[in-house]
Amino acid sequence: MTGEILLQIVMAMIGALGFGLLFHISGSRLITIMLGAAVNWGVYLLAMQWYDNRVTAFFVSTLATAALAELLARLLKAPVITLLVPMLVPLIPGGDLYYTTLALVQGDTAGFARYGTLFIEEAGAMAFGVILVACLVQTLGKLWLLHSERK
Amino acid sequence: MDRPEQTLSAVLDAGELLLTSGAEAARVEDTMRRLARAYGFVRADVLTITASMAVTVRTADDQVITQTRRILRRGTDMRCIEAVNELSRKVCVNPIPPEELHAHLEAIRTAPDKLRCRLPLAYLITSGSFAVFFGGTWRDGIAAMLCSVLLYVIGVLGDRISLQPLVLTMVSSAAMCTAAALTVKTGMGQNLDYIIIGNIMLLIPGIPFVNSMRDIFVGDTITGLLSAFEAVLRALAIAAGCALVLMQTGGGAV
Repeated sequence: MTGEILLQIVMAMIGALGFGLLFHISGSRLITIMLGAAVNWGVYLLAMQWYDNRVTAFFVSTLATAALAELLARLLKAPVITLLVPMLVPLIPGGDLYYTTLALVQGDTAGFARYGTLFIEEAGAMAFGVILVACLVQTLGKLWLLHSERK
Repeated sequence: MDRPEQTLSAVLDAGELLLTSGAEAARVEDTMRRLARAYGFVRADVLTITASMAVTVRTADDQVITQTRRILRRGTDMRCIEAVNELSRKVCVNPIPPEELHAHLEAIRTAPDKLRCRLPLAYLITSGSFAVFFGGTWRDGIAAMLCSVLLYVIGVLGDRISLQPLVLTMVSSAAMCTAAALTVKTGMGQNLDYIIIGNIMLLIPGIPFVNSMRDIFVGDTITGLLSAFEAVLRALAIAAGCALVLMQTGGGAV
């Protein structure tokens, strides 16, 4: 079990490295992304233990990753998406897209409905997480502006 | 101000480079607005959607100029986004002549990649690691890497003949599934599903999707909806390509 978790986290990191290269990210930024992807998948596994629900775990993990990306982006003075997207990569529901297609081709209506719903719910959970953090950051930014103007 | 047309054109160059490198609409608009102000335009109205940019500016002597750019192809190049970002920050403090700005942008766009085999390497690493990540064996990982080579070659060829991105996605997906089925048939790969999933991760439109969500919620509804729809279509194209092959094989190996 522990070995499996370690393998998954290491593979998530390497996968994120691949995506980092794909997006022309270079240098130390790649290491940041790999660590971010490890955090992303680690939080997902923890949330999975806690809630035992994939969609909730996706949401929690996206929230954590997006918050981390916003924070790091400010520290490193980099555009947020350059960090956020590669760090979210392990959550991309590629597997469920495949199983949905497979069920459709095999005429497995129940499987198609189950995986199709899962795919949409997971993508929705990620979207909601990203949006929520973006809104929160925007609101905090505005409040901070107000605060510093008053001084 | 002398030659406001050239100045505006250089500002649009900056926006175009950002947009084609995969920056969010809000960032593109913000950058162009700031640049326009730095160059002394009194008012700048900027609209960016995924397919087009339009900027109308008013100069200090009440001259109104509009320029638009059509955007045909977008990719993801974070190095470009960061470089343009830095350049625009510098230019806002110290506006350089528009020709110089244009030259700087051209230099960023055509800058040679330090890592010459970046893309093939990225394809190999991503497909192999995700095949194992989703539960495949080491042999599946290697088989996935082999398929990703084909995916890369098709991508390069498709780009060369300017194939429609959606068609290219479908063709790539179908070819990749065929290759995956072949690796299983020859006994090279063990689990067809993990080999295919590892490669699907390369095709899946993660960037447009995350970008579109952020776009919608900072007020760029049209841009967001366009790219969200693009992402959905891409996902459907991947599924369609896979389905074509899986229908022939019945979901198993060849």
